[in-house]
Amino acid sequence: MYPQQIHQYVRRFFIENNCPILHENEHFVNVQLTIEMDKKIMNRPFYWKYVESTGAEPTPAQLTLITDKNRLTESIAGEVVHYGSPRLSQLFRVTNELGSFVQMYEKPPAAQVPAQIILTPWVGVNYKITYSSHRTQETLYSLGINLMTGMIINGFQESISGLDLESAISANTFHLPYTIKPLRALERLDAVIENQIKQDDHTWAEEAQVRQQRDIRVLDYFYEGIEDKPETYESEKKAIEEQYKTKIRVEIINGGLFYLRSI
Amino acid sequence: MQIEWSSDWKEGFVERLENRRAWDNWTLYKMCYDVEKAKLITDFDGLQCPKYLPELKPFPHQLEAAETVIERMNGKAILADEVGLGKTIQAGLILKEYLIRGLVKKALILVPASLVNQWIEELNQKFHIPVIQYKKAYDLNYCNIVIASIDMAKRSPHKENLYDQDFDLIIIDEAHKLKNPKTKNYEFVQNLKKKFCLLLTATPIQNDVFELFNLISLLKPGHLGNFETFQSVFSASKHNVEEDEFLKELINQVMVRNSRHDTGIEWTSRRVQIIPLEFSDEEKEVYDMISELKNVSTVFSGAFSMITLQKEICSSKEAAYLTLNEMRKKCTQPDEVEYTEELLRKLAALKVNTKAEKAYEIITQANGEKVIIFTEYRASQTYLMNYLYEKGIVSVPFNGQFSKSKREWMKQLFKEKAQVLIATESGSEGINLQFCHHVINYDLPWNPMKLEQRIGRVHRLGQEHDVNIYNLAIKHTIEDHILELLNVKIGVFEKVVGELDDILTAYKMSI
Repeated sequence: MYPQQIHQYVRRFFIENNCPILHENEHFVNVQLTIEMDKKIMNRPFYWKYVESTGAEPTPAQLTLITDKNRLTESIAGEVVHYGSPRLSQLFRVTNELGSFVQMYEKPPAAQVPAQIILTPWVGVNYKITYSSHRTQETLYSLGINLMTGMIINGFQESISGLDLESAISANTFHLPYTIKPLRALERLDAVIENQIKQDDHTWAEEAQVRQQRDIRVLDYFYEGIEDKPETYESEKKAIEEQYKTKIRVEIINGGLFYLRSI
Repeated sequence: MQIEWSSDWKEGFVERLENRRAWDNWTLYKMCYDVEKAKLITDFDGLQCPKYLPELKPFPHQLEAAETVIERMNGKAILADEVGLGKTIQAGLILKEYLIRGLVKKALILVPASLVNQWIEELNQKFHIPVIQYKKAYDLNYCNIVIASIDMAKRSPHKENLYDQDFDLIIIDEAHKLKNPKTKNYEFVQNLKKKFCLLLTATPIQNDVFELFNLISLLKPGHLGNFETFQSVFSASKHNVEEDEFLKELINQVMVRNSRHDTGIEWTSRRVQIIPLEFSDEEKEVYDMISELKNVSTVFSGAFSMITLQKEICSSKEAAYLTLNEMRKKCTQPDEVEYTEELLRKLAALKVNTKAEKAYEIITQANGEKVIIFTEYRASQTYLMNYLYEKGIVSVPFNGQFSKSKREWMKQLFKEKAQVLIATESGSEGINLQFCHHVINYDLPWNPMKLEQRIGRVHRLGQEHDVNIYNLAIKHTIEDHILELLNVKIGVFEKVVGELDDILTAYKMSI
């Protein structure tokens, strides 16, 4: 992420979370946190406990983040954020926490003849698959399933990100009741992921196995001819097993119910 | 293979479907997806950490080392770059990469006590890795990255506390201190579970090839065979390294070593010279009398005490006086006592110190530029301070025993006020003096790696001038022998480990 992207990200994050921006230019933002956001990111539980128990007037903090310190010409005191900085990682985490589940309706086009508009229900889920041994690799799958027909499409998020969606249904717009229940739909998507994993190339796991066997052979050689193997043998062996242990993990980043007209 | 499914999301989804909780914000939803896409680790190979560390500008050889360790060595390696090439940066890159990839959750860093703060600072500031210094009272279950001094860690109850934890990565700095398998340090590390492990040392061999065997056996037991087979191949003579190509190849599978020339960085050159000196007649007489001692009294017949005295008198009469005076007390026979007393009188009467005069000459020729003098003896350190003071040259002392703040203060004084810094051996770790480019090795240590450590204090990243090294040695004394032995040891190192930058002279003797 470049400094401009980070700047945009930080701005949008606070605006969406109702934290007013007090001062800013292209390289820094100064925001007034809400009470909720202060509790989430400022890490001062004792202050909030004190306010709550004494009934004092709460004063949530202001925060100044510098998104490009190289271009900042004004002298501004603040926290420098860049990709990988602890503050930005924290904002990423909070974004995930506050952006996991949505229910969205597609907006009818403005110049629509006043006729009824029917929306189709979908479940969309963004999956992350992690393959890990002594190394790791991740893949994202954005799947969507039509709750009327059961049709499944890949790249769902990309196809809806350009649409005009809102969280409440517009007037004169209706949606069909689903024939496939959302939880049942989720199971079908899980099955697609499982199938995808089966079809993937798993040379990585075989390679890890080979390396593991080789390293254990080397270890055995070291303790060859010793009747009572010392504790170190067992702990070394355990370490090698853990080092190359192959794992497949599936996580859901986020997902939701979508009522769409365009796809 | 088993697939681990995380069910958290499903539970949250059900809660929303049943209207028990509110739905989230669409913009944040999209931002979250975009961040995941940006963070995605699409490839098993390659490094993720550089994009998380835009402020850090690692050198190509440092990135390459991190990649090699993770991809080819599976996270178990000796990082053996020459002094001053940034081994801490390499270790930081590797740790960061494993943290980002989720392969390491808990790590233990073991370093000499004097370097604890430096490590905490570097990892915090350069790598954004929060490190906690080990304290007995802390619950280690809540500490992810822990740093401890190895001398503390190896003792109970700390030892047991650390064994109880499941560390994914162990980093050990100054790992040459683990060369001896009979020590508590070695035993402690041997019993730690080492899933991923980094051993940092600029000097994997100090004296003989068995030290490297011991290090590698900690890291990957069996890689060089077991002790018996290794010994049978390499013990014919400790210094005679046969089959060195084969051994070198095995070693290269677990060790990364860059010399200054490999880095592609423009290094200032290193001008090393041995300055042979002749004792004055009076000094010569005293030296010979000392060498004669073993024939005079059994008190001095031990080879060790003889060598110590000979080395000391090559340094200064002050250094020798203390030892000699102690030993005189053990003499009982009248002729022994008489001989020693005579020796002590002659010693006390010495007016000239040839080496000190030479050192003074070098300092004056440096035209006011900073000079570091390394000596093996505290007595010589004090003597030299006085001697130089009488000549109008201000110097500051430096010892390993100084506290952190005193070290910093002395360094500051040296930088701003004094022309000369006089350090004892233990001062040669963990102090960086790039602003100085003259080093006088007033006494020579037995171990060539100590010389390299000393020179490494000034000849490191950030040095802008050519570095001048002056090795002082007095002819026809024990120092001839030391020089010869140093050359042999350098030969062993180069055969097994690789080229070593000049530390003795630019023209190495052939072995």
